[in-house]
Amino acid sequence: MFLEIFLTLALGIIVYLFLTRKKEETLPIEEGWWGKGQKPDSEEDTTVRPFKVETTEEELNDLFRRLDQARFTEPLENSCFQYGFNSVYLQKVVSYWRNQFSWKKQVEVLNKFPQFKTKIEGLDVHFVHVKPPSLPEGRSSKPLLMIHGWPGSVYEFYKIIPLLTDPASHGLSDEHIFEVICPSIPGYGFSEASHKKGFNSVSAACIFYKLMLRLGFHEFYAQGGDWGSLICTILAQIAPAHVKGLHLNMVSIMSVRFTQLLSILLGRYFPGLFGFQDEDVKRMFPFLKKGPYRILMESGYAHIQATKPDTVGCSLNDSPVGLAAYILEKFSTWTDPEFQKLEDGGLERKYTLDDLLTNVMLYWVPGCMVSAMRFYKENIGNGIGTQKHEKLPVRVPTGVASFPNEILHIPRSWAQQKYINIISSNFMPRGGHFAAFEEPELLAADIQQFVGRVEKGK
Amino acid sequence: MWLQILWSVRSFKCPWRSVILAPAALGAGGLLVCWLLSRRKIKTLEMGDGWWGSGERPPREKEDERIRSFQIETSDREIQELHQRLDQARYTPPLEGVAFQYGFNSTYLQKVIAYWRNQFDWQKQLEIVNQYPHFKTTIEGIEVHFVHVKPPGIPKGQAARPLLMVHGWPGSFYEFYKIIPLLTDPAGHGLNEDVVFEVICPSIPGYGFSEAPHQQGFDTLAAARIFHKLMQRLGFQEFYVQGGDWGSRITVNMAQMLPKSVKGLHLNFVFIISGGLGRLVSLLLGAYVPWLVGLTREDSRRLYPYLEKNVYELLRETGYLHIQATKPDTAGSGLNDSPMGLAAYILEKFSTWTDRSFRDMDDGGLERKFSMDDLLTNVMIYWVTSSIVPSMRFYKENFSKNPNTAPDTRIGVYVPTGIAAFPQELAHCPRSWAKKLLKNIVVYSYMPRGGHFAAFEEPELLAQDIRQLVRKVEHL
Repeated sequence: MFLEIFLTLALGIIVYLFLTRKKEETLPIEEGWWGKGQKPDSEEDTTVRPFKVETTEEELNDLFRRLDQARFTEPLENSCFQYGFNSVYLQKVVSYWRNQFSWKKQVEVLNKFPQFKTKIEGLDVHFVHVKPPSLPEGRSSKPLLMIHGWPGSVYEFYKIIPLLTDPASHGLSDEHIFEVICPSIPGYGFSEASHKKGFNSVSAACIFYKLMLRLGFHEFYAQGGDWGSLICTILAQIAPAHVKGLHLNMVSIMSVRFTQLLSILLGRYFPGLFGFQDEDVKRMFPFLKKGPYRILMESGYAHIQATKPDTVGCSLNDSPVGLAAYILEKFSTWTDPEFQKLEDGGLERKYTLDDLLTNVMLYWVPGCMVSAMRFYKENIGNGIGTQKHEKLPVRVPTGVASFPNEILHIPRSWAQQKYINIISSNFMPRGGHFAAFEEPELLAADIQQFVGRVEKGK
Repeated sequence: MWLQILWSVRSFKCPWRSVILAPAALGAGGLLVCWLLSRRKIKTLEMGDGWWGSGERPPREKEDERIRSFQIETSDREIQELHQRLDQARYTPPLEGVAFQYGFNSTYLQKVIAYWRNQFDWQKQLEIVNQYPHFKTTIEGIEVHFVHVKPPGIPKGQAARPLLMVHGWPGSFYEFYKIIPLLTDPAGHGLNEDVVFEVICPSIPGYGFSEAPHQQGFDTLAAARIFHKLMQRLGFQEFYVQGGDWGSRITVNMAQMLPKSVKGLHLNFVFIISGGLGRLVSLLLGAYVPWLVGLTREDSRRLYPYLEKNVYELLRETGYLHIQATKPDTAGSGLNDSPMGLAAYILEKFSTWTDRSFRDMDDGGLERKFSMDDLLTNVMIYWVTSSIVPSMRFYKENFSKNPNTAPDTRIGVYVPTGIAAFPQELAHCPRSWAKKLLKNIVVYSYMPRGGHFAAFEEPELLAQDIRQLVRKVEHL
């Protein structure tokens, strides 16, 4: 009798395991077409054309006229940055923009890295492509795709690029030398915006996958934060054979499991039980304040952009001052939440006004704020956690750089639910959301050590 | 010994009637006393005091209480400047086939801006705006603007009833311009002249021609108190109040603060407080047995399917509320600098909150219920006064406190209340839910048509309902 029971149990367990086994799934690549009107029958032009940023007197005069006629509203007494961008400090920024900032000089800075455009799925995709100035004998460079987010741009990578393509000249080990490709997400900067609705992170990932293939790369590393993090993750899901390694400075999870809920309740008292390190506990608790409350206070922009992007973006494409306030508020609060208590939002502690305004100009000059905001509606307009890619795991070797002032801290044990092959996960000593912009050395070092681990693992 | 006690108890004869009657009478008397005591002790909201001017409050200075008459004027230079900004507007083409689903459609916006630039005549509109007398007076350190319209003629034996009407966001006193004549001069509009009003429409501080507060913390309680002071200053000890949107919350606060001054409270919008477990149960059951949980068939029709109509709908439409309640200065910055952006932001609400199906129309159905002149006059009030940022700050000041523990959600409203429930309102509040706070609802009407901007869109329907409330209150 016991034999029968035992056999039945064993069979039951085998059947159960078989049924609940995670199927090996890759995300299918979607064929899209985002150009104007009907897709033409002719073959798409696949040439890669060099591109340079240009500016005209007319464009500058128009900007100056708008800056000169800007209308400001006095802030409430002692409100600093608690109600949003303080308009007294905004006037200083605008005055600098009008009188000292030189867009012509910044255009030269932008053009020092080679840029190109190529048509993919009906859209002109802009990208920066920087090769190492020199390679030691017998060595090859590793292709690295770096993707920006909102309200950033390719310019965020301008300080980190030299550390990756030319580490020797910057006092770093030249064990890994990269050639870096930084595309602009369609709808951002100089990449054409989609004319059709539905252009989301999966669409962007498919386009960047085609871009890398077109440039002749069959194996590459991918790095990203903000939307870049999501797009790189999807890339790793649609083409795991091509993505050698995935490095993220921001991790987001789309669904909460029971174990995670439990870890929120008990993680502070039994960190080891839930895989929390001391630093995790320090960054996550008190949970309500650092988690849901912080998200609620900081996600108004995401809520309105995910529902009415055309409305909210309208004035920002017409008023450079409004655009600057909207974008720079994020560079203040997401770099350090304590900056809200400062009258100047602490903006110039980590960045120069020249750099900040160059990024703003990359929204003003191409007039892309509305299309950039639409990305929110396309991605989360139907709810978070509803899309297929959010439910699939990532098997590609992953490295996570966890910056202390990131908007939300996700501990490794939570990230591992989705990124099942994390081979490197480090707590950064300082820095916030705009890692590449704010702490390029730290991020470059982490990318290099991650790549080292991937290569060693082979 | 025990037997003896038992025997003496058993032999204690007493008529059974008095055994029952005596404690019953005691009980009833006790209940009566409790009830009487509780009635007298209706809790009111603390009025408090405030100062909203610049800097420190001057120590002993008495406030200048004069009421100064005021005309709205705009210089030609200001209009030229507006035109110049409209001419340089930069548009982003909409996605193909989305109508108003992504917000204000920029193809239609260009038409609106062309009209604003070339046909809209602000000086002519100002004549319309100035047709009613405007005033300003200083209260708690800031200038409060209001319109005060007296009836042209009152029938014998009657007195004009004072009625305070409070607007909301993104509206203004101008929303009441069509309803005012129906209330002050009913006879002239084919209505019975048994109920005649004199109407006072203030601008909430921070909106329109009322000065914006310079200090933090200006919420609906502060506005309610300021409006009480205004009515007292105008010599009214008893008056009616009417409101929708923020006006609804402010007038409710007024009824909570000084119930003896508020003869009647009329609302076309009710802020729903969360109802906890009881509400959840009533929602779940209400889909199947509405009568069991105090819902009428019309309530059912308007509430269900619940998730779709209330949760998703609200999430879709409250992005503005979220950003205004957290970063008003950022959100309003561009709007105060770009008239075309301001128009898109404000008019999107006049489209979607009037009828949700307007989202599927290329022109947002805007001109079906409103004239472009009226819509743009309201936008101009925000533009010429640069009041969009202070108007948005009101959201942060009010949503910063936990809505479930805020003092005004725990104090009942006992003044006679009338509710006009419009079908396209953002969220439907059934009578049984409203009763949690509004304890004395004497009129509850399901309006046949109309949305959020009731006075602006359906002035006749709203006027009728206000008059009905007054008749009930005064037993006419």
